[in-house]
Amino acid sequence: MSSEIPRNTPQDSRQHPAVQIDGVAKSFSGTVALEPVWLKIRRGEFLTLLGPSGCGKTTLLNLIAGFLEADEGELFINRDLVTQVPPHQREIGIVFQNYALFPHMNVAQNVAYGLRTRRVSKAETAERVREALALVKLEDFADRRPRQLSGGQQQRVALARALVIRPRVLLLDEPFSALDRNLRTAMQVELKEIQSRLGLTTVFVTHDQSEALSMSDRIAVMSRGRIRQIGTPTEIYDQPQSRFVSTFVGDANLFSATLREKTTADAILEVGSTRLTLSTYQVDMPAPGPVTLFVRPEQCVLTDSGKPDAIPATVALSVYQGSYAELHLDCPSAEGGRVMLRVPASQALPAGASVGIALPQRGPAIYAREDDIA
Amino acid sequence: MSKRPFLGWFASPSILIAFAIAASFLAIVQYSLRAHVPGSLNPGGLTLDNFTTLWKAVYGQAFLNTVLLCFWTALFTLLIGYPLAFAMVRAKSARLRSAILLISLTPLFLGEIVRTYSWMIVLGNRGFVNAVLMQMGLIDRPIDFMFTMTGVVIALVHFTLPIVVVMLAAALSHIDRNLERAATSLGAGRVRVFATVTLPLSIPGIVAATSTAFAWTFSAFATPQMIGGGKVQTISTLVYQVGFASFNFPLAASLSLVGLLFTIAVLAIFNTGIRRLEKIGAH
Repeated sequence: MSSEIPRNTPQDSRQHPAVQIDGVAKSFSGTVALEPVWLKIRRGEFLTLLGPSGCGKTTLLNLIAGFLEADEGELFINRDLVTQVPPHQREIGIVFQNYALFPHMNVAQNVAYGLRTRRVSKAETAERVREALALVKLEDFADRRPRQLSGGQQQRVALARALVIRPRVLLLDEPFSALDRNLRTAMQVELKEIQSRLGLTTVFVTHDQSEALSMSDRIAVMSRGRIRQIGTPTEIYDQPQSRFVSTFVGDANLFSATLREKTTADAILEVGSTRLTLSTYQVDMPAPGPVTLFVRPEQCVLTDSGKPDAIPATVALSVYQGSYAELHLDCPSAEGGRVMLRVPASQALPAGASVGIALPQRGPAIYAREDDIA
Repeated sequence: MSKRPFLGWFASPSILIAFAIAASFLAIVQYSLRAHVPGSLNPGGLTLDNFTTLWKAVYGQAFLNTVLLCFWTALFTLLIGYPLAFAMVRAKSARLRSAILLISLTPLFLGEIVRTYSWMIVLGNRGFVNAVLMQMGLIDRPIDFMFTMTGVVIALVHFTLPIVVVMLAAALSHIDRNLERAATSLGAGRVRVFATVTLPLSIPGIVAATSTAFAWTFSAFATPQMIGGGKVQTISTLVYQVGFASFNFPLAASLSLVGLLFTIAVLAIFNTGIRRLEKIGAH
């Protein structure tokens, strides 16, 4: 199968994008589901649309699939304008959250469905169905009915059915949410393997940040119908550009602070009575005044409470987690009054101990106080 | 049950109803096995004569009529009801959905007599349909609807439509829309999606609706009586005639019994059909 699907070499990525979204927007009876979005998805790229429910990610997926019509904007797939093309002519493969296998057909018939609509000859259909089932390791299940299969097997069939038509783009709509934890991880690895082996352009919709971080080439974090930030998993995790992204992806400690001064690279702030100088990666830094300071738990370092550049706190609770301990600290300067740190289990402190929290010079970010939470 | 004793009280009306049904059923069975005494309302001694009497052309004809009536009614109700139910489930506008629901359910709110009488007005030789067709010059002389099978079927379709629409709508609304979307993404146009996904998945609903329509029509009385006007004899009109015109209660009872057994047999056949389909995994 892989030999027949055109593989994407690196120079392909310098050519036209596999999917180009130009100002596509959608409203439902006056309610904006998706603000105008511009997005280019490279060939062979695994792009994740990540966000909470109602953020517009599923709307965007349905617009790409053609199940919804855009109110404005244009959509290109492989340079072809497809905005007006009906879904059954878009050559797109989809794996649904509930797999949507045809219950009245067996596995082979399910996989063959997209070939029958294309009037592929019987012999070729049989050959391609066999290849597709081999790809997902289900050769021996061709005669089974979907209801006789486990959740993981059903998902493989759904994947085979979507891949056998050699789609220009593969869309995945929260495909792992119905699987239990162990199976989910196994399927993620397998899907990612198949995807990169075939060099298949993939758009993956999920609300699960760990799934997004582990599988994606790039992540587009969405909320309230907008793409809030787009970047590699590392960029999203290490350099979140907004308070929303910082808290939605990974754990975050947030402090109420006052920004006193900023230069091109440095910022001087006060957290309570502690004065800090930080250099940040941020594109947009807010104006001097009340701000929110963001730090990942693993960037915080425990020190003595007396140090001048440490934020004072008190241990409230220590949670043993095996290889490490989670320290929950009461900290008056923290938003919500709590800060969480991870320390080696041997360094766990008893409740009531006074400590200081030292922040690294690089890593923290400063967001405007009114930056939305949703 | 002992922990929730009030449930027993809730169930008590059903015991009363069950008792009433069992009693009337036993009465019919009992009557059907008794001899008819001409000139008397009281039945005579035990006999199987009633069932041998049923082995006559006139009763066979009524049986055949009833089955044909049920068949045509079920067929046309299905042909009209399926698109209606489909539109009701799938219409985007909520107003259109409720309009369809209202239109298809109104027959239920009119009594059977009122409804049948309206149909007599519409279908008569000088009725609405014939008047319009003649006015338009499409026909020279009125089409006979009254006292014909056609007229009875038309009125019965109207009578049966509500339950069929409701049952089909229930079945159609349970079809996962993602299945149709999946088919679409795999290259199937609307017609193909309908023929290969929607229709096959609604077959259990169709079978259930058809069997209910069959039983529903089988027991219809006022419509064949009034529109058939004695020219279209069915089991129910014959039971009425034998029982209340000739006062031959034993024969009427045996006729009812045979009709009931036949209905049960038909429903059983449909039921096995549904279970077969479910085994295959069609639903």
